[in-house]
Amino acid sequence: MTLEMKGIYKSFGANDVLRDVSFELHAGEICALLGENGAGKSTLMNILGGVHKADQGKILLDGKEVSFQTPADSLNHGIAFIHQELNLINDLAIYENMFIGRELKKKSGLLDAQKMIDRTNEVFKRMDLDLDPRTMVRDLDASYKQIVEIARALLMEASIIIMDEPTTSLTDPEIERVFDMMNTLKKNGVGIVFISHKLKEVMTVCTRFTVLRDGNMVSAGDISETSIDSLARDMVGHDVGTQSLRREHKLGEIVLSGEGLTLEPVFKNVSFEVRAGEVLGITGLLGDGRSELFQSIFGALKGAAGTVRVNGEKVNIRSTTQALKLGIGYVPRNRKENGIIKDMTIEENGSIVTWPRDSRFGFLDSAKIGTEFDKQERELHIKLDSKKFLIGSLSGGNQQKVVLAKWLTANPRVLVFDNPTQGVDVGAKEDIYNIILNLADAGVAIVVLSSEAQEVIRVCDRTLVMFHGEVRGELVGDEMNEQAIMRLATGGEA
Amino acid sequence: MSEKTNKVNVFQWFMDKWKNSALFSTGLALIVMVILQTIALGFDYPNFGSWFTAWFNNWMNILRNNSSVGIIALGMTFVIISGGIDLAVGSTVVAIGAVVMAMLDANTGGWLGVVGLTGVPAFIAAIIIAILFGTLLGSLNGLLVTAGRIPPFIATLGAMKILRSVTQHFMQSQSPAVPKGFLKIASARIGGQMLLPIVYWLILAVILYFVSKKTVFGRHIYAVGSNEKTTRLSGINVNRVKMGVYALMGAVVSIASVLQISRIGAMDPANAGSGYEMDAIAAVIVGGTSMSGGKGSIVGTVFGMLIIAVMNNLLNLMGVPPFLREAFKGVIIIAAVLLQRKSSEN
Repeated sequence: MTLEMKGIYKSFGANDVLRDVSFELHAGEICALLGENGAGKSTLMNILGGVHKADQGKILLDGKEVSFQTPADSLNHGIAFIHQELNLINDLAIYENMFIGRELKKKSGLLDAQKMIDRTNEVFKRMDLDLDPRTMVRDLDASYKQIVEIARALLMEASIIIMDEPTTSLTDPEIERVFDMMNTLKKNGVGIVFISHKLKEVMTVCTRFTVLRDGNMVSAGDISETSIDSLARDMVGHDVGTQSLRREHKLGEIVLSGEGLTLEPVFKNVSFEVRAGEVLGITGLLGDGRSELFQSIFGALKGAAGTVRVNGEKVNIRSTTQALKLGIGYVPRNRKENGIIKDMTIEENGSIVTWPRDSRFGFLDSAKIGTEFDKQERELHIKLDSKKFLIGSLSGGNQQKVVLAKWLTANPRVLVFDNPTQGVDVGAKEDIYNIILNLADAGVAIVVLSSEAQEVIRVCDRTLVMFHGEVRGELVGDEMNEQAIMRLATGGEA
Repeated sequence: MSEKTNKVNVFQWFMDKWKNSALFSTGLALIVMVILQTIALGFDYPNFGSWFTAWFNNWMNILRNNSSVGIIALGMTFVIISGGIDLAVGSTVVAIGAVVMAMLDANTGGWLGVVGLTGVPAFIAAIIIAILFGTLLGSLNGLLVTAGRIPPFIATLGAMKILRSVTQHFMQSQSPAVPKGFLKIASARIGGQMLLPIVYWLILAVILYFVSKKTVFGRHIYAVGSNEKTTRLSGINVNRVKMGVYALMGAVVSIASVLQISRIGAMDPANAGSGYEMDAIAAVIVGGTSMSGGKGSIVGTVFGMLIIAVMNNLLNLMGVPPFLREAFKGVIIIAAVLLQRKSSEN
């Protein structure tokens, strides 16, 4: 099936989100849809998925004009949208999830489990997939959940599948598995739209690309005729470096150190130290224990053994409040769950850490809080209409900067960044790297936890690589490269 | 915007407010209720003065009769914003009431009489002890919720049963009398009106309003209710905030309890305060506070309490049989939440 979207316009209120955008997809193609957050990718795909209606423009399927009023319309035309937050119910088996809302019944009206299982097996066979449909979804890893979603799309006879950042929460081997599946589908003539920020993945798995910027189509073409640099340039509108940003920092005293930190089975016998003005990276594959390690140092996770020293003094941190008092800051991963408070304003989110400090007799000093926030807003280049709006009104990158702002106002001596650029567009990513490096220049000890090797290589002075909760090795300066990191992260020797 | 006519602007402003502000729609509902109630009261009076007196007296009655639950609802607002619930408040009212009466019993002199305290000093001591006791009971709930990690619904359901039953047991052979002077706390007349319960309610509402908007503790309550994890990771002691909320709830309940005794002059351990928890929760919900925490306001709760109270009065004036009135309360609660959901979806 051939899909064409022609001259699509869409605006929300006074906001033009899409201006004259065209998009094409042929059977057996994987087309990357690229763009920064807010470029209009989701809106375009939501129009295709029947969630929104275009103000102007046409959608053609095999040359025939169609119009989608609801997601069901779009699905009936063979277009399936797999959202970033997967729509699976953990407590049901795979086959039950596959048929949810359209269960097969026997004449008696009872569920026909056997038939549903058989039908699921048929689909799995087409996908060269060896998986028992009776497995509970809870027991699947993230990649198989993704694959079950794809299977469900195929069950509904989708010939076009839209995948919205499917690899964000996957580990490398899991990503491989999803890519293999995508290639199988490609061979079977399914067309796939792949929305992603990860250009390296795009280069490996996609055949064509379309780049959007500020609601306009900037470029489109074959992947074989482009490069990461040129795609990144199209996305941001100017050159983006992939080169190292490492600077000569003046190193001071050891600010934070850990010795023999253990919390079975999450992390084992981890030792490290970080000096004032240093950027220490800790990397590895997802689930290597680094997040838990620093959450436990920060007092958010209990039960770890071992010694933590702050400025050389042995401490026993029991709560996040205590960690804050000792000058430790922690910018968490998963912004939505751990970073922001959705019912509060931008300013409140950006100042909550320092409320106890910026208050008198328990009453908030709103003037001081306001000045402090304004300062951060300027320095971090946070783009906002009014700081009194809810945090949700900002783009992902700007939300992340607000999360940084709340920690920067606290003037921590050591600041831990856990996946600092998750779900952040290319431009904001560079901004965040700059913030990190400027902090180090100002003498703050920095720890960057990241599973993106590129990120660690670009901003960190040295990095520890973890594997199954243990530090597998250390790489300093130019020793850091993707191969070396990957070797250690998968359990190999340095 | 400027080329549009003024009329459209007013309409748009109205729709904007309606969609975005729970307080606006609750306030509007209250105004409609008051208008209906005024109509139901009728205008069949010889002159404006006598109509106004009747109208005013009716209002004083409404406010006074709802002051105890109104006060409890203020504390309940904090509990619900923090993501919790407190079902024990009704039983706490009797438990504290029993202690106050035991301290002041006019027949035997009471516990305070035994230690030689009588009159105003005894009243002051009794009130202070009542508030401390209430805070203690609230803190125990807080302890179950935080250290004990018991869901608030279950912890306070347990406390509700325990407090009611123990109080009834110890009160069964007692019939303490409240000293006359103590009644003045609620019943002293100002300009011929028993205004004091209303004044206490208002003062507490104003104080708690400022706590909710302007203090670190108040804002922390919202943060905990909206996203506990983020709040903890922002270096805030979540358990301390929760303890504070339940302790404050206990203190607020003790004020309501003292008020109740001095207004009525007696307390039936089996029935006093029963159903207060649900009435208070209803006022909070009708006032636009979200059951899932993080959203809500003290002003909303005052509006919510008034909506329910005025509606009760309206039904009374219209001659609706008493047993049916609760049904209307139910309808109002459900309608309020439906309306609020509409507005939050936009």
